Amino acid sequence: MMPAIRRLSAKPWIWSYLGMTLVWLATTIHSGGTGGAQVLTAALSFATFTVIVGIGQMFVITTGPGNVDLSIPSTISLAGVVAMKVMEGSDDLLVVGLVIALACGLAVGIFNYLLIRILRIPPIIATLSSSFLVLSTAIAYGRGLKIKPPPLLADFTTAQVWGLPILALVVILFAMAMSVLLHRTLYGRSVMAIGQNMRAARLAGIRVERVRFLTYTLSAVLASLTGYLLAGFSGGASLNMGQEYLLASIAVVVIGGTSVAGGRANIPGIWGAAMFLFLLVTMLNTFGASAGIRLILTGVIIIAVITTAGGDEPQR
Amino acid sequence: MSMFRLMGASLLAVTVGAGAAMAETSKMRIALSNNYAGNSWRQAMLKSWDKITKKAVADGIVAEAPAFTTAENQVTEQAAQIQNLILQGYNAIVVNAASPTALNGVVKQACDAGIVVVSFDGIVNEPCAYRIAVDFKKMGSIQVDYMAGRLPKGGNLLEIRGLAGVFVDDAISGGIHEGVAKNPQFKIVSSVHGDWAQDVAQKAVAGVLPSLPQIAGVVTQGGDGYGAARAFAAAGRPTPLITLGNRYDELQWWKEQKTANGYETMSVSIAPGVSTLAFWVAQMILDGKQVPKDLTVPFLQINQDTLEKSLATTEKGSVANVEYTLDDAKAVAAGK
Repeated sequence: MMPAIRRLSAKPWIWSYLGMTLVWLATTIHSGGTGGAQVLTAALSFATFTVIVGIGQMFVITTGPGNVDLSIPSTISLAGVVAMKVMEGSDDLLVVGLVIALACGLAVGIFNYLLIRILRIPPIIATLSSSFLVLSTAIAYGRGLKIKPPPLLADFTTAQVWGLPILALVVILFAMAMSVLLHRTLYGRSVMAIGQNMRAARLAGIRVERVRFLTYTLSAVLASLTGYLLAGFSGGASLNMGQEYLLASIAVVVIGGTSVAGGRANIPGIWGAAMFLFLLVTMLNTFGASAGIRLILTGVIIIAVITTAGGDEPQR
Repeated sequence: MSMFRLMGASLLAVTVGAGAAMAETSKMRIALSNNYAGNSWRQAMLKSWDKITKKAVADGIVAEAPAFTTAENQVTEQAAQIQNLILQGYNAIVVNAASPTALNGVVKQACDAGIVVVSFDGIVNEPCAYRIAVDFKKMGSIQVDYMAGRLPKGGNLLEIRGLAGVFVDDAISGGIHEGVAKNPQFKIVSSVHGDWAQDVAQKAVAGVLPSLPQIAGVVTQGGDGYGAARAFAAAGRPTPLITLGNRYDELQWWKEQKTANGYETMSVSIAPGVSTLAFWVAQMILDGKQVPKDLTVPFLQINQDTLEKSLATTEKGSVANVEYTLDDAKAVAAGK
């Protein structure tokens, strides 16, 4: 028993699941045991989107200090707006819309990397400034329109079996695949090696710039996929739909036990952290906490979780 | 008045006098100073201004009425912009202000230069300016009044609030709570922040809904009703009475429900065309009419029987709109 607990507590992602369980229990007890299962269903539905962008952000953060993708929110909006406008609510154009959404992400990712590589702009500034350009494009293109998604997409993104959202199941499988990519492939190992020490990685023969290019592109493409799915889920794309995923995408990575300093990552923690964040807000809403208290507590709890979960030895 | 006319004459080389009926202001120039254009409401507001003032210029009612928008939604920027408008000798400046207090200095300068300043939506509290303000409190309380009419037995209400920390959110919510105090058969069982955005509202409602008892009605602030409806549908709960805020997606959803099962509700907000009301008020003042300093923007309320008409004239993804006429402005000035 004891060794098992010790082994589990050594896993960096365990804390997010612990936090999630505690918060869920508190909510369910407060509401007298009603609706505990439905809350979990809702948490799964909404966490799905945070997880997809979180995985992209995780790869970026893992490539080392200073690497972060701040263009995720505007990429979500751009992809959602463009895809919805192209499909015009028609099921026949479902695949076309998806391809165009992903193409938007691809373009943003390549653009981000070019800013970082060719103009030698630090990633934070590069992705932040590109996010302004991307959002302006979305505004110019969409003019704030909210066009309904094709019925098939709306049905798929909101469908459930036995209280489990189908999309969440698909994304759990996707997360497993990404876990294999991270831990078992040349690309994933290279990302971690670069995060641990870029110079050493380069000397060891890793093609650092190619890996970084792939990582920023992956993050933007995943953001665009989120935009496509989220627009289907919430009944249309809007210009501010990506806004809350800026902080959330970083928070789930860090709370999930990925090292902010880079070089160490895990995927299960992202799911736990995404569920935790949703349940935390739900708990405070259920308690009837005012907006001010809610924001303060959210901040305090995130800091607390990061300090307990991220308290491992620094890399160097 | 003669000073205005001289100024207008010297600045404008030629004005062809059409529509002689409005000769009093036909050589005058009115400018719109707008602080922000980054959402669909503001886009519609500028479009309405453009449409009505173009016609007014063509009809010879005023000489020109251009719109100026600042890029950054900054007080300093708008103050500089208004200073420019003063120097350019406009007879009246219509303002949607970035701050109710911070522009007071430059507004006073404009007044001292003999310029009529009419603020609307984002009003300024400098006494020399005119204000066309929104009664946000009432916007909250009329929703509860409507609920009381529809649900005489009362019941549990879910309140969706706006963006925390913005005074509009506090004002509308205050009105809702006042309405509930007057109608004790209602009880607000939960308040969540939807940030005036459908997806945020959907997420917040989906989270609290499982722990809530049966909900009879949802009171909103606009831009959040459709998201609430989606959360109820996703949770497999019966759709309560949701009051809406004139957004296109909300009206479209209402129409679908009405066709499918005769769903009844109401929708209320401010029409972006309120900019044109401000234009006519400015024109009236220049024309020498007596106008009180504090006016109230009329609500644009959509009811069961006006839904189809409103939906047909609302642009996709935008918000229901009306453009006002001089007669509307006279009615508002008369306090009707």
